[in-house]
Amino acid sequence: MRIYETAVKKPVTTILIFFGVVIFGLFSLRYLPIDLYPEIEPPIVTVFTFYQGASAIDIETNVTRLLEDQLNTVNNLKKLTSTSRDNISVLMLEFEWGSNLDEATNDIRDVLGRAEAFLPEDADKPILFKFSTSMIPIMMLSATAEESYPALTKLLDDAIVNPLNRVEGIGAVSLSGGPKREIQVNVDPGKLEAYNVSVEQLGNLIRQENLNLPGGTLDIGSFSYPIRVEGEYKGADEIANLVVGNFEGRTVRMRDVAVVKDTIAKMTIDERSNGRQGARIIIQQQSGGNAVEIAKEVNAMLPSLMESLPADVQLNMIFDTSEFIENSINSLATTILYAGVFVVLVVLFFLGRWRATFIIILTIPVSLIVSFIYLYVTGNTLNIISLSSLSIAIGMVVDDAIVVLENITSHIEKGASPREAAIYGTNEVGLAVVATTLTVVAVFFPLTLIQGLSGIMFRQLGMIVTLVVIVSTLAALTLTPMLASQMMRAQPPRKTGVIKVIFDQIEKFLGWLDDIYENTLRFAVRRRWLVVVSSVGLFFGSLFLLPIVGVEFFPPADNARMEVSVELPMGVGLEKTKVVARQIENTFLEKYPEVEVISTSAGVADDGNIFAAFSDNGSHIINFTMRMSPSTERDRDIYEIGDLMRADLSSIPEIDNFRVDPGGGGGGLGSGASTVEVIISGFDLDITGDLADQMAEAMNNMDGLRDVEISRDRSSVEYQLVLDREKMALHGLNTSQVANALRNRIQGLTAAQFREDGEEYDIVVRYDEQFRTSLDHVENIMIPNSQGVFIRLSEIGGLQEYFSPPSIERENRQRVIRVTASIFNASLTDVVRDIRAEFAKMDVPAGIGMDIGGTVEEQQEAFADIFLLLGLVIILVYIVMASQFESLRSPFIIMLTLPFAFTGVFLALFVTGHTLNLISLIGSVMLVGIVVKNGIVLVDYTNLMRDRGLPLKEAVVTAGKSRLRPVLMTTLTTALAMIPLAMGIGEGSEIWQPMGVSIIGGLMFSTLITLILIPVVYTLFGANRMKREQKRLEMMELELQ
Amino acid sequence: MKAVFIAYNQALTEKVEFILDRMKIRGYTRWNQVQGRGSEDGEPHMGTHTWPALNDTILTIVPDEKVKELMETLRKLDSKTKMQGLRAYVWNVEDSL
Repeated sequence: MRIYETAVKKPVTTILIFFGVVIFGLFSLRYLPIDLYPEIEPPIVTVFTFYQGASAIDIETNVTRLLEDQLNTVNNLKKLTSTSRDNISVLMLEFEWGSNLDEATNDIRDVLGRAEAFLPEDADKPILFKFSTSMIPIMMLSATAEESYPALTKLLDDAIVNPLNRVEGIGAVSLSGGPKREIQVNVDPGKLEAYNVSVEQLGNLIRQENLNLPGGTLDIGSFSYPIRVEGEYKGADEIANLVVGNFEGRTVRMRDVAVVKDTIAKMTIDERSNGRQGARIIIQQQSGGNAVEIAKEVNAMLPSLMESLPADVQLNMIFDTSEFIENSINSLATTILYAGVFVVLVVLFFLGRWRATFIIILTIPVSLIVSFIYLYVTGNTLNIISLSSLSIAIGMVVDDAIVVLENITSHIEKGASPREAAIYGTNEVGLAVVATTLTVVAVFFPLTLIQGLSGIMFRQLGMIVTLVVIVSTLAALTLTPMLASQMMRAQPPRKTGVIKVIFDQIEKFLGWLDDIYENTLRFAVRRRWLVVVSSVGLFFGSLFLLPIVGVEFFPPADNARMEVSVELPMGVGLEKTKVVARQIENTFLEKYPEVEVISTSAGVADDGNIFAAFSDNGSHIINFTMRMSPSTERDRDIYEIGDLMRADLSSIPEIDNFRVDPGGGGGGLGSGASTVEVIISGFDLDITGDLADQMAEAMNNMDGLRDVEISRDRSSVEYQLVLDREKMALHGLNTSQVANALRNRIQGLTAAQFREDGEEYDIVVRYDEQFRTSLDHVENIMIPNSQGVFIRLSEIGGLQEYFSPPSIERENRQRVIRVTASIFNASLTDVVRDIRAEFAKMDVPAGIGMDIGGTVEEQQEAFADIFLLLGLVIILVYIVMASQFESLRSPFIIMLTLPFAFTGVFLALFVTGHTLNLISLIGSVMLVGIVVKNGIVLVDYTNLMRDRGLPLKEAVVTAGKSRLRPVLMTTLTTALAMIPLAMGIGEGSEIWQPMGVSIIGGLMFSTLITLILIPVVYTLFGANRMKREQKRLEMMELELQ
Repeated sequence: MKAVFIAYNQALTEKVEFILDRMKIRGYTRWNQVQGRGSEDGEPHMGTHTWPALNDTILTIVPDEKVKELMETLRKLDSKTKMQGLRAYVWNVEDSL
C-alpha cells in the first residue's frame, strides 16, 4: 500500500504522528539555547613563550625563529604568523577550517617538547592557547566610585564577582582596572647609604619577620597544647617599627630609612566610565552556555547585589550581548510571522476556499517545527542563521501541498468521492512533487559542504531548509490528502454577500490576467527571434550593472557598539594620556547624544595578563568602548557616527594614530567593516618600515580607505645599562647582581605578602618615587658586593640611549610589516587594484615582497567556494531534472531561466543600493533551485500537451495559460515570504537583507522572463522533437516492407 | 465488424502499435504482460526464471474491409521475426453497444 493510501485510510494514525512530531518539536524549542551565531571555533592555536628580559630582536632570534622552524612541520598548517615583542613571543598557527584542532594541539605539543631543549635557559615553557567564540565577553559592566574608590576592588570582588561566578553557565567573571592595595616601603637612598643598609637587606628582614610557624605540641600534665609563633604583620605600622640594625649605638628602625604606606599600587591603567573613575567587570560564558539566560539571571541578581555596596558605588552596563541577541531573535520571529501571513493571503487569494487554505497552511508549522528537533538533537542553538533559514523555507513548504490539493480538488469537481480523489489525485502528482523537492534539496544540501568561515554560517541553513522541505513533501503526500479526504466537499455555489463579491472580483481579475498572458504569448511565438534576441540583450546589458553594484565580502551590521583606540606618541606617560582621554571623552559625550555609556581605559593592563599579550599595550594607548542607543531609536548609524568621530580625532594634535571600529572588533561575524591588509615582507627592518610608511601615506590618500595603520610600532627610545665586566670583577660583582639590584630599586622588590581577611597584598620595597626620576638617580644607585661594600653604579658602567623596535612580526617564517585599513563605501576590487598600482610605483629593492590580505583573502576563498558551489548546484539540478523528464533537452530549456535570475539579482541590488556580497551570492545560489521549479511545471505540461497531439504553438499557449496560476502562486508565496527579510525590520536582520532582496528580485524577474521566453525557446527546440518522431516512423515503415 | 485478437511477444509492442496507427485503427483493448505458449513450437512466454519472456494481447474490433490488410501486415511482421512469436485470430462480432 502506498504512503498516501495508508494515510487516507488511517486518518487517526496520520494525524497523531504529526501531532507527536509537533509536540516533540515544541519540547525541543523549550530547551534550545539562544545565541547570536552557531558556535565557531577558529582553527587557530597560539603559542606564547615568555622570556623575561629579552628584547624583541633577541626574542625573534632565540625563541620565535626556533619554534617556527620546528612548528612548520605540523600537519594541515595553513599559515604561521608570529609577533616578537619585548619579553614575549607569540606564534599563531592557523589551520584549515574544519581540521581537528585536538589533533593539531597534540602535534604542536609534541613539537614543542622537542623544541624546548633548544630554547634559552631562562625562557619559560611555551604555553598553548585555543580561542573560541565563547571567550568573547557576553557582558561588560563598569563600576564607578567616589569615596570608596580605594577599596573598590575588594568591594566588587565580595559583592559582585564571587556571587556571579556561582551563576550556572558563567565561565569567568573578571575584574580589570580596579585599584589594588599595596604596602609600599619607599626608601630614601641617602639614608640607606648613611646607615649602611641595602634594599635587599630590608627586603629580607621584612620577609623573615612576616612568619607564622607551628612549633609542635607541648604536653603539660595530661593535656597536649599546640604551640606556635604568630609573627605575621597585623598592620603597616608594624613594618615601620621593625629594627633594621644598629648604628653608632643607636637602634635604626625601618621608619628611619623609609616611609611605609598602606596605599594603592601605582596604576598602570586608568579605567573610567562616563568620565568617572572605576573598574570593569567582564563576564564570559562557558562554552555551550545560553548567553540570553545568563544575562537574564545576571540582570535579575544585580539589584540585590548592589544593595550590599556603598551608596557611591555605581554599576553601569557597558554592553550586554544578550540584548542584541534577543532583539535579533525577536525581530526574526516577527519576520517569520509576517511571512506566514503573506503566504496565507496568497493561497486564499488564488484558491478562494477557506478549507483548502487551512489544509495548506497546516503544513507550515508541521514542517518548520521539525527543524527545532534537528537543532536540539545536534546540540545547536537557536540563532540568527537557524531562524532566517526558517523564514527562507516558509514560502517553499506550501508549494507541494498546493500542487497536491489543486489536483485533488479538480478530481472532486469532476465528481469523484473525496476519499478516492485524495488517493488518485495524490498519485498523479506525487512524482512531480518529489522531483521539485529534489531540485530544492540539490541546491540546499551542497550548502552543508562549504568549507571555511562561510561554511559554518551556511551549514545550518542548508540542513534546515533541506530537512524542512523534505518534511513538507512528506506532509503534502500524507497529511494533505488525508485532510482533503476528510474536509473537502464539492464546492456549492457561494452564497451572496461581501465575500462573494470579493472572490468574484478576484476571479474576474485572474481571468483577465489569463487572457492578457495568452495574447502576449501568442504574439511572442510569432516573433520568436525578437524575443530571443531582446532577452539575450537584456542579460548581457545587466552585466554592466555589476561594476555599479560593487562587490564586498560581508554587509555591515549596526550592533550599537563602537570601539575606538587612540595612540599618542610612543613613550607618553599615563598622566598625559589620561588628560587626552578626558578631552576625547568630553567631546564624544557632548557631540553624540547617541552614546549611552563610554568606557575608557588608558595605559597598560596588569603584567602577566594573557589577553594583554594579544593587543598593543603601552602607557600611550587609550581604548574606548561605547554603547549607543538601540539602532531603531537613532537617525545616524554607527558607521556615520564613526566617520564623524574620525574627523574629531584627526583634529586633536596630540594624537599620533587612531582607529575607529564601529561594531567592535570582537563582535563576531557580520559586524565591523571589512579590512584590507597590505603585507610587506623582507628582512631589513628599516627598508620595510620605509615602504610601509610610503604605503600608508598612499593609502591615506585613497578615497575608499579609513583607519590606515601600520602594524609595527615606531621604534622607541630605551636606556641600556652598559656594564664594564673588568671593573665589576674588580669590585666583586657580576651582571646578575647588578641587574637585580637595579630592578629592586626601580621596579621594586616584592618582599612578602601582607595577609588580612583572607586576602593577600604585596609588600613592595623600592626607592621613593622622587629618587627615581632622572638618569643621575640611576647612576648613583649603590650596590653592595659580597663583602658588604657599597659600589656606585657609575663606577662599573653607564647608561646609553638606544632605539629598538618594540615588536617584530613574521608570517610564514618571513619578517613582515602590515599596513591595514578598513574599507568604506568602496568595492574591494577597486581598492586592491589601486594598491597594486601604488606599489608598482614604489622603488622596491630585491628580496622585498608585497601581498594583499585581510578580508580580501578570506573573501576570495569564500567567493571561490561559492562559485564552485554554484557550478555543483547547477549540475545537480540538471541531473535531477533530466532524470525526471528522461530528456536532455527539456532541462536545458528550463535552465535558460537561470541567467535572468541573475539579471534580476543585479537589478534588485542596484535599485535597493545593496552590494554583491557573500549573503546575496548565497541567495543567488538558492535561486537556482527556486526558479527552475516554474520551468519544470511549464515544460512538463507543454510536453504533455504535445504528447496529446496538439500542434506545437497551440500546445505552448495552452500549457502556458493553464499553468499561469500555479506558477504565479508558488512564486508569490516564495517571494512575498521573503519581503520581511528583505525589508530588514529590526536589529541585526539587516545582514540578511541582501539575500531577501536578491531572491525576490531574481525570482520575480526570472518568472516574468520564464513565462515568455521558455515557451518561445520550446517552440524552437520542439520542432526538432517532431523531426525525430518522423524519423522513427520512417524506420518502422522500412522494417515492415 | 470483426474481432481481431492479437497475442504477441512484448518486444513487438511498438511495431504492432505502429501498424494499428497506420491503418487508423483507434479502438482496442490491451492486456499487458500476460503468460502464454504456442500449441506446436516456439519458446513459452511465462515470465519465469526458465522462460522469462511475456506476451501482450490486443483485442480490436475492426470493419470487415480492414481485416484482410491487417492480417497481411501482421503476417509480414511475424515472418520477419519468427523467433519473437505473434499470433492473430479473427471472429465475428454479433452485437455491440
